[in-house]
Amino acid sequence: MAVVQINNVYKTYHDTEVEVKAINGVTLSFNKGDFAVVVGPSGSGKTTLLNLIGGLDQPTDGEILIGGHRLSELRPSELIDFRKDHVGFVFQSYNLIPVLTAAENVGFIMSLQKWPKEKRKARTEELLDSVGLADRHNSRPSQLSGGQQQRVAVARALAAHPEFILADEPTANLDSKSAESLLDIMEKLNRDEEMTFIFSTHDVRVMKRARRVITLEDGKVISDEIRS
Amino acid sequence: MILEIAWKNVWRNKTRSLIVITAVTIGVFAGVFTIAAMNSSVVQRIDAAVNEEMSHIQVNNKDFRSSSDIRNVIDDYPALKSTLESLPGVVNTTGRIIIKGIASTASKSTGVEITGINIEKEKEIFTLYEKLIPGTGSYFSSETKFNTAFIGEKLAKELNIIRYTLTGDALSKLESDGVPAEVVAKLGSVRDQKFPTDKKFSNSVATLLTPAELKNFNLKIKEAAWSYREGSKVILTFLDMENNQTGAAFRVSGIFRTNNDMFESLAVFVPENELRQLTGMEEGTYHRAIARLENDELTDNVTPMIRGSLPGYEVLSWKEIQPDLAMLADMMQAIYGIFMAIILAALAFGIVNTMLMAVLERTREIGMLAAIGMNRRKIFSMIMLESVFLSIVGGITGMAVSGAVIAATAKNGINLMKYSEGMEALGYSAHLFPTIDVQFFITTTILIVLTGILSSVYPARKALKLNPVEAIRGE
Repeated sequence: MAVVQINNVYKTYHDTEVEVKAINGVTLSFNKGDFAVVVGPSGSGKTTLLNLIGGLDQPTDGEILIGGHRLSELRPSELIDFRKDHVGFVFQSYNLIPVLTAAENVGFIMSLQKWPKEKRKARTEELLDSVGLADRHNSRPSQLSGGQQQRVAVARALAAHPEFILADEPTANLDSKSAESLLDIMEKLNRDEEMTFIFSTHDVRVMKRARRVITLEDGKVISDEIRS
Repeated sequence: MILEIAWKNVWRNKTRSLIVITAVTIGVFAGVFTIAAMNSSVVQRIDAAVNEEMSHIQVNNKDFRSSSDIRNVIDDYPALKSTLESLPGVVNTTGRIIIKGIASTASKSTGVEITGINIEKEKEIFTLYEKLIPGTGSYFSSETKFNTAFIGEKLAKELNIIRYTLTGDALSKLESDGVPAEVVAKLGSVRDQKFPTDKKFSNSVATLLTPAELKNFNLKIKEAAWSYREGSKVILTFLDMENNQTGAAFRVSGIFRTNNDMFESLAVFVPENELRQLTGMEEGTYHRAIARLENDELTDNVTPMIRGSLPGYEVLSWKEIQPDLAMLADMMQAIYGIFMAIILAALAFGIVNTMLMAVLERTREIGMLAAIGMNRRKIFSMIMLESVFLSIVGGITGMAVSGAVIAATAKNGINLMKYSEGMEALGYSAHLFPTIDVQFFITTTILIVLTGILSSVYPARKALKLNPVEAIRGE
């Protein structure tokens, strides 16, 4: 069953004089357990597509269905709750909350969802352990390397059992070793927990690991390759 | 969690937060302490007026004040007294005989108001006897066959009872009090010379000393030269019950010093029996009944009650006798309000500025929070709490510092001797004991928190307007 269903979606930006079609009639679906990358040159619409899937932006036309929810029918406040409960985000610049420790960052969404403290603590420990940061619970983001911060971001994204994770250029700021290590963790989570990952990337290391590669150009899907 | 993040956010830029908190602290302290000092001068003036001059409520024969005729006495003082004492809030009463007259000495004479008093009752109601200048008498307590009078320092100066003379002893005392020998030597030229007035003495000393010496030692020199001969005589002249002019010599049984020059120069107190003998007023008759209340706050409630119980008499509260004081008290409330409004406005601008900076600096972070599912209410609350924390920490510290400094200075007071002449001419003490009531303290603290909340609205709304997509993208 499709976790994400995108039907003939358009996204047009009106610049001062020019109309820019960032997404131009895309139809795609992502299934549970996908480990997919969206690739393409700069300006091809990768980030826009991820923003639309994540409910951060609304399409100009077409529809996006996630777990039976038609995103265009949700009010802005419902979209925020939808993102909190259904989508995990991993950003290029980690975007952790600088004043919180690694454990508090991971527990943040669970606390927004009002999980009981004990349950939250157990899940946080489990996740930090799974991303190899069992010993850095109390470290602030500024005390962690880029790779470690991105692993905390992955743990945070997974915390509240989202239906899928959107990762926008997650390895862009990482060195090779950290990038490989992060991808190992994501692959393992995908394999063991059947967590769906949708990446946008320029990074060949991510592309090599992906089992599905979608290529965008000028807002259109020009290829959708499934690897065995 | 929101509370925790907001608190931690306050301290992520420690320097900036500390600067804002310090500014708020200083602003609140400056405002509250200035108000406390201003308030003290009004409170002290009202206290002095009530405790030394008027008490809370006065009841007169209705024609007495307009005519000042000695025969306009209260018809049935014992009945009036028992009516007064039966009313709630009235804790003590006394009667006064009041006669306009002239006080004279060999060299001067001036108009005065002679008040015949029951000494023991006066001491229960008024604290004027505590204002006796040491060494000037005993406030009617020494046995004497003469008539006695208790007068103000200003009147004593006007009548030349107080003089200024730098005796040999006075000069030695000055030297032992730390006045340099060369200054004392300069003063030698006016040794044992008698100056009838403060002004003449000051003018003479000014010709001998440099301005700097005058500035440093003038008060000490004046104090040392202040001389008074105990038991000095004053002639009081007035009309008796038959409208015939009468009078007698009174020995000064003490000189009082208050902060009210007008009162000091007009009031002469004498025992009521001495005045009765001279005027022929009957025993138990008075022109004025004085009522002392439990506290000042009861004045507005008890005055109409007395008025209702005593028709045909003129009933006046201290606020009506000295409306300028009542108006001043009200005006001060308005001034405190304006003063605090200015300080709170400055606080608000400080908080808005700081929080706007914080929001603009954290555009990306706030965008991320919205992206991962933190709703608008929570983002608004977070920014609002940060502002409130800043104001609360600064405000509470400011209030605590104000409280401590007010408590410390209230004990020994702040002495503005330099301005004493001007302030005392207006009836105000130059020695301020800052004071503030608890209600003002609590109200101000609540207003500071409310200002913090209100000032957070604009930055918090600004945070809500951020588009997560643009916020995350922009770096």
